[in-house]
Amino acid sequence: MGLYLLKRVGQTVLTAWVTVTIVFLLLRLAPGDPAVSYAPPNPTAAQLDAIRREFGLDRPLLSQYGSFLVHLAHGDVGTSFQFREPALSVVLQRLPFTITLAVAAIVVTALLAIPLGVWMARRANTAGELGANIATIAGQSMPDFWIGFVLLIVFAVNLQVLPSSGFTSLSSLILPTVTIVILQVALISRLVRREMGGNLASPYLTIARSRGVSESRLTWRYAFANSAIPVVTALGTRFAAMLNGVVIVEVVFQWPGVGSLVVDALERRDLPLIQATVLVTVLLALVVQLGVDLLYPLLDPRVRLGAGAR
Amino acid sequence: MTDDISLAGSEALVVPGALPRTVSRRSLLQLAGFLGAGVALGPALAACAGPQSSSTSSAGTASSTLSIILNRNLVSLDNKLNQYDAAVTVQRAVRQALTQIGLDLKPQLVLAKTFALTSPTTWDVELRDDIHYSDNSPVTVEDVETALKLYFQVSAGYVASQFAEQPKLTKTGDRTFTLTTTKPLVTLDALMSNILITPAAANKAEELREGIGSGPFTVASADSGTGTYKLVRNENYWGEKALLAEVNVSYQEDEGARVIAITSGQTDVIDTITPESAASLKTKQDIEVVQNKGTRLIHLFYNFRKPSSHPLSKPAVREALSHAVDHDSLISSLMAGQVTSAEGVVPTTLSGYAPTGQYTFDADKAKSMLAAEGVKDLKLTFIWEDSEFAGASRVLEAVGQMMDAVGVGVTLKQIPKGGDINGWRRGESGDWDVLANGYGNQTGLAITNLVGQYGGTAAKEKTRDTYQGFVVPEISDLLDQAGSEPDQAKRDALLKSAQEKIWALWPAMWAWTPNNLLAHRKRVTTLDLSPGNFYDLATVAVSG
Amino acid sequence: MTTTDLPTADLVRPSAVTARQLRTSGAARRARHSTIKMWAGAVCAAIVVLPVLLAGVLPLPDPVKGVLKDTSLPPLSPGHLLGTDPNGRDLLSRILHGGQTSLLIGVLAIVLSGLIGVVAGSVAGYYGGWVDVLVSRALEAQMSLPLLLMLLLVVALFGPSIAVITLVIAVAQWPEPARLTRALVLVEREKPYVAAAQVLGLRRPLIILRHIIPNILPQVLVVVFLLLAQAVLLESSLSFLGAGVQRPYPTWGGIISDGRELFVIGTWWLVTLPGVAIALLVVGVNLLGDGLRDRVRRTKAGAA
Repeated sequence: MGLYLLKRVGQTVLTAWVTVTIVFLLLRLAPGDPAVSYAPPNPTAAQLDAIRREFGLDRPLLSQYGSFLVHLAHGDVGTSFQFREPALSVVLQRLPFTITLAVAAIVVTALLAIPLGVWMARRANTAGELGANIATIAGQSMPDFWIGFVLLIVFAVNLQVLPSSGFTSLSSLILPTVTIVILQVALISRLVRREMGGNLASPYLTIARSRGVSESRLTWRYAFANSAIPVVTALGTRFAAMLNGVVIVEVVFQWPGVGSLVVDALERRDLPLIQATVLVTVLLALVVQLGVDLLYPLLDPRVRLGAGAR
Repeated sequence: MTDDISLAGSEALVVPGALPRTVSRRSLLQLAGFLGAGVALGPALAACAGPQSSSTSSAGTASSTLSIILNRNLVSLDNKLNQYDAAVTVQRAVRQALTQIGLDLKPQLVLAKTFALTSPTTWDVELRDDIHYSDNSPVTVEDVETALKLYFQVSAGYVASQFAEQPKLTKTGDRTFTLTTTKPLVTLDALMSNILITPAAANKAEELREGIGSGPFTVASADSGTGTYKLVRNENYWGEKALLAEVNVSYQEDEGARVIAITSGQTDVIDTITPESAASLKTKQDIEVVQNKGTRLIHLFYNFRKPSSHPLSKPAVREALSHAVDHDSLISSLMAGQVTSAEGVVPTTLSGYAPTGQYTFDADKAKSMLAAEGVKDLKLTFIWEDSEFAGASRVLEAVGQMMDAVGVGVTLKQIPKGGDINGWRRGESGDWDVLANGYGNQTGLAITNLVGQYGGTAAKEKTRDTYQGFVVPEISDLLDQAGSEPDQAKRDALLKSAQEKIWALWPAMWAWTPNNLLAHRKRVTTLDLSPGNFYDLATVAVSG
Repeated sequence: MTTTDLPTADLVRPSAVTARQLRTSGAARRARHSTIKMWAGAVCAAIVVLPVLLAGVLPLPDPVKGVLKDTSLPPLSPGHLLGTDPNGRDLLSRILHGGQTSLLIGVLAIVLSGLIGVVAGSVAGYYGGWVDVLVSRALEAQMSLPLLLMLLLVVALFGPSIAVITLVIAVAQWPEPARLTRALVLVEREKPYVAAAQVLGLRRPLIILRHIIPNILPQVLVVVFLLLAQAVLLESSLSFLGAGVQRPYPTWGGIISDGRELFVIGTWWLVTLPGVAIALLVVGVNLLGDGLRDRVRRTKAGAA
């Protein structure tokens, strides 16, 4: 177990490092001049050169990368061009907002999708299940920015019952969470249905049923418990993906999280900030996935983590 | 997303065999469930407590609290590196300068008691006796000296670039000093309005994140990452105290979000709104829209780095193209009537402006002039940076159609934000013909615009530092003369002559000045918007 | 083929299973449901795809040249079924012409990602060893990258042309068909007919191409088809974030992005109506693909 953990942590660090390096390179190869975003309007060549020198952008690529790595080893991801503050602290200031949104979304998703999926599995091949099937397909088909807009128009503009942007009160969470949840519930409930469908047909359930075990106990205590691993994995994967993927929802609702920060930073070519955001979100996503994997032995005693040929 | 959600790659191995059961799995799972719920809800609750302290409080809860939402992040309350019009409002509430630009765009005295030109290259300044910072420490000549020095030390500082040269400060008495320049700098009083004064010991050659000022408000909390600031009335203010007790500043880049914020009562003031938003907000009962003529000029400027064989190098051709633009339709359909077509080379609100002509729409005249110049099959490339001005893409697409109507082909090239536009402007990224560009003004003086755009010289062109390659020695000489002419009347005459010569060259296909548009809830009773798109927070009052 | 197809004459012994029971059996219902889904999906998709394909021949106003004085007309205005945008351009025309661009990109992207995915997955599954390790690690790595960010960066790097966006979406999507192909090939290669082919001396690439792939193709094709929905969504998301195909040619995401700042002041149709088109198409494709997948699975289960 200890060896496994070490290996996984090593893989996490490696993946994070590769990702950040790729982003580092792409940013410096992309066209556009970061210095312009921070110069006075209609700048002279001399002014731009001065800014480039200040940001260290005039040095050769390898030298920039080298000093980036050295600073990274000390926990310094660079100073944001726009905020003139350590990029890491700017990201960490806004990270709680994204995490709050992701946590709220995954909790609501789990609470809604699991019962829905179980219900769909129990009622397999009925008209009700067909309806739910079509509804979940519809749910995963709609573009999230569009759902967000429609909800905004209806609830914030026309009915004016919910706040439209930013994080001003707990009710600000509602619209962005609903937008995310619609897609996630559709996906997760279908997964639950698939897994449960397989399990509900197992022979041991038939035997238990013939011994008089109640249907609901069978469903939850046996069939669902055995579907736990794929479902938990999926929830964990989705949560990890959300940390990166709520960008569009954050943009639509002006949520002061990391997603809207990075879209803005991309426009301004605030290289250190982009790098810091990528580093933090990738690390977080990988840590969440590692955590999910470590849960396996709890959920299924047959599982033994460790090296094993597939 | 398809159904096949991939599972995270893991090396879990299913091995038959039992785990020693000291604690039952069920109770472990239950415990995990509780912990999970706690972990899930905990950050949400904690985040509520945290972010809420820095979010904008809803408008109108306490008496005399004002809530403002800007459209850009006010990265700091200092302006050494960058400044935009709406930022001036908030920055000047905390820190002051020797002078300020008043509602009539003329410099007014603030920290200075007198500020007079005593010789062509010397200004005499005397500081007021009653001024002090919010902690009661006095404002000294040393503070001014240090501030001036630091503004010029900052690399590529915005404010410093407005000065033709760095003035030299010499202390002549306890409260007096002189500012001298090698060449006469007749607009120094206006320019010094951007040099903010902070205690010398705390001042640095960078944007200050904290610190005190002498203004009518002090900073209660500042979070540059989320762009939220809280200002409270300075009870120690040396002048007339502010009417407001508290001001909350935040920002939203999305126009729609800001409109919703003001209509739902979340905020009191939103500035720099688009014409469409203004038109829609005017219909709301509890919101008032303030509009006045602005100081920003947006124009479709020609590329002056063309070879002399190119049709665009002929003023007659440029004039012909101007006649092809139906600007009245553009203004009414796409700009909600909130812009004024230019009547000269600089906005009418600037001091030193001289009327030199008007843009007229006459498609037939355009066609005949083009034919007379022997222009056939002309193809133009328009470039602009994304979000250069409100509705830029719509306007340019429409202009493209108008060109089409007179037989000129148009290619539109929208340059994404990120700094690419600069390469294009300097002629380094490719050939282009017309650039849609906005030119702001922070001094209230026409000469700033004129020198910046039309004062190009061959020397500057070597480093491509002219405005799209515009180099006409006759004009830059006139502007030089005007810049050193201490007599106001003579200076204005020189500027008029320069503007007439510029107009005759038809440097822009069309130009316009957008109105400053600001919306505030009716509970805000006084808010005087300057043509420079800023206002004095100290005089703003709210009712209830 | 279901048992209800047997002609009654062939039932030599009276069966306790009634026709009604057969009709309401799980298998029959599954068949019916998948047919319903397929038809519903086909209809939804057709509502969008057919007009888009016919956009060139339908009598529509020009999607690029607008009449300024018809600015921002609401839907159901005379001459403009879905209204106009601020430049006076007909929205229906823009949605249909924009659909051509969006669909073109989508179809090209899935063809490309399908090709890449099948090739990568089959060599990984068949050859195993370091090839498999390479492909599997690539799949994992791509999963942990922040996708949208990388796409935005690449588009910023190479410019927002149709070719770049197609490539970018294809690269984003190849893991799905690759993973499925690999899993299926892993199963197929243990089957006797593959051993027979090897014994007969057939070269390995030929075994994969001529024997294995035709057997797994139906399932993979369904997955690739389902990717069309995702590709269209991805293209519109990119356009929405500003990294889409350049003006003045409309794309669905671009129309929504342009209309974004206007919707709150009442011009709602610019945002909602293109979204309806996207949603209908994607729902249709997903339903159709889901029904197809049920069919393919059943047939496989029946045949195996």
